[in-house]
Amino acid sequence: MTTPVSPRLRRPAANALGGLLFAAAWLIRGGPLWWVAILSVVMTAVRVISVYRMGGEDSDQGAIAGSRADERQKLLSVRSRALACNVAATATFIGLTFTIAINSPEWWPFVVILGALGLGYLFGLSSYGGDDEDGEAANAGASHITPSPVR
Amino acid sequence: MAAALGVSRQTVISIENGRYLPSLPLAFRISRFFNVPVDKMFDPDDEEAGT
Repeated sequence: MTTPVSPRLRRPAANALGGLLFAAAWLIRGGPLWWVAILSVVMTAVRVISVYRMGGEDSDQGAIAGSRADERQKLLSVRSRALACNVAATATFIGLTFTIAINSPEWWPFVVILGALGLGYLFGLSSYGGDDEDGEAANAGASHITPSPVR
Repeated sequence: MAAALGVSRQTVISIENGRYLPSLPLAFRISRFFNVPVDKMFDPDDEEAGT
């Protein structure tokens, strides 16, 4: 997928968008904690600048932050994300178990998160799988497939 | 060399140190770069590598 945003700006832009949405949520909420929106904007600005600067570094983290990772660095990124998702799933399960044990009514967000993680996992299997007989059809439209060098 | 292969300097170092086995397309690019057959350059039985 091609985007008009230059590779080095992609992650900073995504961080900026997320931070501004978070700040907007605090503004919409209103009340005495409106100043958290300003704090969020400041923190987002610091984060965006640091990610942009990291994107210029000659390192694995720099290549990932600058959206110019090669195959090994992409593998590193995928493995790190998988580990983060495993940690998130474990923490969510512990939270769900705890809220059920103390008879808290706030158990359902944990179920929603676990459901989203499970659906994401199943979506990943269906998207990146394709061990059926007609592999070409299953992989049609997948932009990440590298053409085989074997002729 | 890294630029010619289209990978990072860190990846070339990882391959040299046996910490990363390249993909098939990259292995072929490396073999063409050195003009050495790919089976002479990489022997998976020689060492187990992983990232």
